[in-house]
Amino acid sequence: MGSYRQQPGTPSSEVRKDGKRVAGKQVFPPPGSGGSDPKMRPRDLDFIPETVGGKEPKPAGDHIHDRDRTGTVVGKPIPLVDSNAKVTGQAWYGDDVRLPGELIGKILRSPHHYARIKSIDTSRVEALPGVVAVSTGQDAPNRFGVLPVTKDEHAMAVEKVRHVGDLVACVAAVDEATAIEALSLFDIEWEELEPVFDPKKGLEDHDEPIHWRGKYHLARTNVQKRVFQEFGDRSLVKTPHASSHGSWTMSGVHHGFTEPHAVVAHWDPNGRLQLYTPQQVPHYTHRALSTVLDVPMHQINVIRTFVGGGFGGKSDPFPHEMCAALLARKAGRPVRITFDREEVYWINRGRHPSHIDVKMTADESGRISGFDIDALIDGGGFASFGHVTSYYNGVLATAPYELGSFHYTGARVWTNKPASGAMRGHGAVNTRCAVEVGLDEMAESMKVDPIDLRLANLLPPHSRTISGFRITSNGMREALERVREGSDWDSKFRQLPLGKGIGIGCGFFISGSGLPIHWDPKNFPHATVHIQVDMDGGVTVHTGAADIGQGSTTAVAQVVAEVLALPIEMIHVRSHESDTSPVDLGSYSSRVTFMNANAAIRAAIGIRDQLLKAAWEMLGYHPNVLVLNDRRIYYKHDPAVGVSYLQALHKAQADTGALIARGAYRSPPMGGVHKGAAAGLAPAYSFSAYVAEVDVDVETGLVSCTNVWAAHDCGKALNPLAVKGQIIGSCHMGLGQVLTEKMVYGRTGHLQNANLLEYKIPSVHEMPHVEAIIVESSDPEGPFGAKEAGEGPLLPILPAVVNAVYDAIGIRLRDLPLTPDVVYAGIEKHLKQHGLDDAEAIESPRLKHGPLQKVLVARSDEHRERDRLRQRSEDTSAYVNGVLFGFDPDRPLAEQVEGWREADEPLPEQLAELGFAGRAWLKKEQRHMGGDE
Amino acid sequence: MMLMPPFELHHPSTVDEAVELAATIMAKGEAFDWVAGGTDVLPNYKWRINPKPHVISLAGIEEAHVLSSEELGCMVPLSSLTAENDVHPLLVQAASKVASSLIRKSATVGGNLCLDTRCFWYNQSEDWRRSIDWCHKADCGTGADCRVIPNQNTLCVATYQGDLAPNFMVLDASVVLIGPDGERTMPLAEFYELDGMKKNVLKTGEFLLKVMLPKEAAQRKGCYQKLRVRDSWDFPEAGIAASWVPGDASTLMVASTALESIPRLHAQQVGDHLEAGELDPVVLAKDVQKSVKPVNNTALPPRYRRSMVKTLTKRALLGILE
Repeated sequence: MGSYRQQPGTPSSEVRKDGKRVAGKQVFPPPGSGGSDPKMRPRDLDFIPETVGGKEPKPAGDHIHDRDRTGTVVGKPIPLVDSNAKVTGQAWYGDDVRLPGELIGKILRSPHHYARIKSIDTSRVEALPGVVAVSTGQDAPNRFGVLPVTKDEHAMAVEKVRHVGDLVACVAAVDEATAIEALSLFDIEWEELEPVFDPKKGLEDHDEPIHWRGKYHLARTNVQKRVFQEFGDRSLVKTPHASSHGSWTMSGVHHGFTEPHAVVAHWDPNGRLQLYTPQQVPHYTHRALSTVLDVPMHQINVIRTFVGGGFGGKSDPFPHEMCAALLARKAGRPVRITFDREEVYWINRGRHPSHIDVKMTADESGRISGFDIDALIDGGGFASFGHVTSYYNGVLATAPYELGSFHYTGARVWTNKPASGAMRGHGAVNTRCAVEVGLDEMAESMKVDPIDLRLANLLPPHSRTISGFRITSNGMREALERVREGSDWDSKFRQLPLGKGIGIGCGFFISGSGLPIHWDPKNFPHATVHIQVDMDGGVTVHTGAADIGQGSTTAVAQVVAEVLALPIEMIHVRSHESDTSPVDLGSYSSRVTFMNANAAIRAAIGIRDQLLKAAWEMLGYHPNVLVLNDRRIYYKHDPAVGVSYLQALHKAQADTGALIARGAYRSPPMGGVHKGAAAGLAPAYSFSAYVAEVDVDVETGLVSCTNVWAAHDCGKALNPLAVKGQIIGSCHMGLGQVLTEKMVYGRTGHLQNANLLEYKIPSVHEMPHVEAIIVESSDPEGPFGAKEAGEGPLLPILPAVVNAVYDAIGIRLRDLPLTPDVVYAGIEKHLKQHGLDDAEAIESPRLKHGPLQKVLVARSDEHRERDRLRQRSEDTSAYVNGVLFGFDPDRPLAEQVEGWREADEPLPEQLAELGFAGRAWLKKEQRHMGGDE
Repeated sequence: MMLMPPFELHHPSTVDEAVELAATIMAKGEAFDWVAGGTDVLPNYKWRINPKPHVISLAGIEEAHVLSSEELGCMVPLSSLTAENDVHPLLVQAASKVASSLIRKSATVGGNLCLDTRCFWYNQSEDWRRSIDWCHKADCGTGADCRVIPNQNTLCVATYQGDLAPNFMVLDASVVLIGPDGERTMPLAEFYELDGMKKNVLKTGEFLLKVMLPKEAAQRKGCYQKLRVRDSWDFPEAGIAASWVPGDASTLMVASTALESIPRLHAQQVGDHLEAGELDPVVLAKDVQKSVKPVNNTALPPRYRRSMVKTLTKRALLGILE
């Protein structure tokens, strides 16, 4: 589309001699607002759904938002609306905020893994000239945490430090050098405690558990959360036709965002706190600040700066945000704290180091009779999002496949390391990798193609998973078929020479969490958007959605522009301040496009209705026969009969002034009632399938990924450019985790590589060619059919690469990342086992289809038609996980199958056979031990 | 983000001036560092790794910028090591593998040869080193033990991870050193001195002015094999350079880097191997492998790095034999 943007140019030739302005002929014409010019662009039928008279195909049938499409901007690749600010260096990130009279804050960090603070003497610090304020944990004893159920953090250590780098005290001084000098003047008396580093040890009783949860504490262990989930008929797994079992060790990884954390706090002359911070979830910070500072929320304004990358790593309320506020309150001057890269790693919140064990079985028809997952995850020193992560590691593996049974034990333990938290693909990534590699292995033992094994076991659209998640749109089948075709899979898989391999992996992820953490969705919506339109015609949108680079501001601007048929330059999104933004849960769980854009559409419809009503009064035609297009409203059957947008707007404003509307989104009621049923529940789910090609150097173990075919079902691509960007970015991040990135904890428990040289994020040289394939399944509840594209696309790249490495060298590797030493150790072991002395003599794996292959192909052919009808809502019969096993979806499964179970606690007879994390169930909570303390 | 500690920067414009400056600072009992490109020294300063109150820049010294096929001044940036500048193809190849293209614009020949040794217990911030109760190399006043080989504080085993040194060695390069006692020239192979802290023979006040290559070096065909995780930024985890005058086995030279505290010319292994018979790349590769003992202080484990010496040596040899 052409640009309405103001451009410097030659002055208009029409200049009146009397100095007055020629209407509509300004030197820099304003962005088009219609004016009195009746000319307009023709409607862009290619971007108006065929269901409402346009040409855009709708393979999934009608959508509730089809009537709101105007062909303006949705579905078109457009640059992000904030990209100019970023590429010209004018975007203001956390550390760009400079307030007059600012002080520099620095944080004193623990040199010990685990220690009790016996005393802190700050007198020498306070005596240093240039030091203005000093604060310690005693100044802020109130606990906070991202989840209301696990508030276990303080602004600074109150009693104990829990990892090297934990916050002990802070100081504000006139400049950085003074602040640094001041840090060396704290006199602290420590009592060192016995640290725990190995999460397996965390399951055992300890003299001094890292946190104490009172009567809910599990014996004296360091278990923060244990989970048990079991669904289905476990007898199916007793006599499997095929199976696989893999034990994985996955290193912790960090988001590696470009911008280190930074915060500026300022108590304004009225005594209100103004806090500038690059936050994904300003609302959580807002709440936590209120708790820690003992100040009501309305006396705090959280200002989200531009965010230089978040990926989950900036979604917790952070202790340094509290520190800045405390120091600023004491000093009476603004305080700025900016992290060094090392501090970024110390606050961490990266992906959990994990031990994951996945067993799976299949029956003689190639149906998956059971997943059995055990995940022990290393939480580090604090809970963060860990309560949720503990569930996600299991329950997000219950789709996209139909399962005979599902069994999961998970435990998250505290260790004396920087806290793990949420990171892109939260909780789902590691288990997904283990499951997808397990499927590859099982397919091999069944002598079938792993893609066909998947295609014959997919849950259809509009179905329910074994754990009770409601699946709506589902483009999994199309994604698999498109990467199979795009990669020329059938002529490569198990046919490439030694050192070259190709592999498949799938993904499944939530598009927004169904449960807002802090309130009941029945009482308060997930997201609210306000729109205001004043005389100038510009549309101001207020939202609390936090753009962290993923493009949420653009998505909101787009949907508003689409509904109102206005150029996107006329939409101004205001989302930085909690004073003006409606409460929103911010950017996590891939919720923003789904929830916020839905709210924005509703608000925009509110404005549109006011405009149409005005046009009705002016034209005499009912809104049902009026059309919005390019700043005009006209009669459907005679475009010459119409009014400009501005005319209609001014008419609508005649009595009321500026137009105001609001829209909200809340998720529908859904899900089961068992404990943990809300974890992983989402109003929609994304699906993806990737094929990766790798080269493995068998003499060095170096793996390079050369090509990726990446198909992601995002429902409807509101902005295909942004979706492709997310797919390619996800590939990069996932490749880092699978090949090179690793938080290395050495012999002494120290994080050895807290810098960007030794924490090895892939460079441009390591990036493969990524063929981004967008699959549009059109979600019935998504905004214009859209679902998430920010996190799900990361999941499949890990297993695709691991499976490709197997295809290349015939060796299963289950230690991530696959650094060359890990691969080489696998090769050495393989040579020894096979009595070979030359790596070049390794035989590549080959596949000769067994009899089951035909069965699977026939079944997936049948299911293709089943899925098509369901996707188009031509078949609206109920479908629940279990139909593939012959059950009636209209009757409770428990009635139909003896032994069908839905459990959130193990049976006593199961205790002996639980996996590693499952051992947490051998312990009792204090309240059941008669203790509390 | 990290704050640079304060220091006084000096800009001598001649060798004499530089040497005199150094002598003056030393006479006052103060410490200083030479700086060329600064891509190694200055990041270490920001980490408070042995920062000094004085830094003497060699950038203004004209002789330090000399660049020809036989003479390479210490200030020559790695990005100038190109075929267009008549630099030996082996050096062009090696320089192109150092760090990233951006860093190569600043990083210099002299800086790379005098690169500080590296260790993951050493290349850390002050806060971090405090948490391990200091490091023998970085925090000399503390009497701290070496963290790689615990319970001793006499030997530093930090690893030399420069890329150019083994390549210059197999081209039979010499280095010209200048200091208060005048000028001296020695084979590069003798320049390094085993100890992660001492690193080389430079005396305080002395600096490496330039590298000289013999005329015959031009006849040599060379190959450099660098092991690293990423194809950008990363220091070598192991590196092998080999060269010969094609067809003449007696001219064969092999050198290694990133395996010990100093780069090493493997004259002994090559000599013994050739004495025993025909050149066999696989056998010689094993001999070289046996002669090195990496320790656990870089990104990849020492056992693996040692295994790779064989592969890299074999590939370097096959690279020059073909």
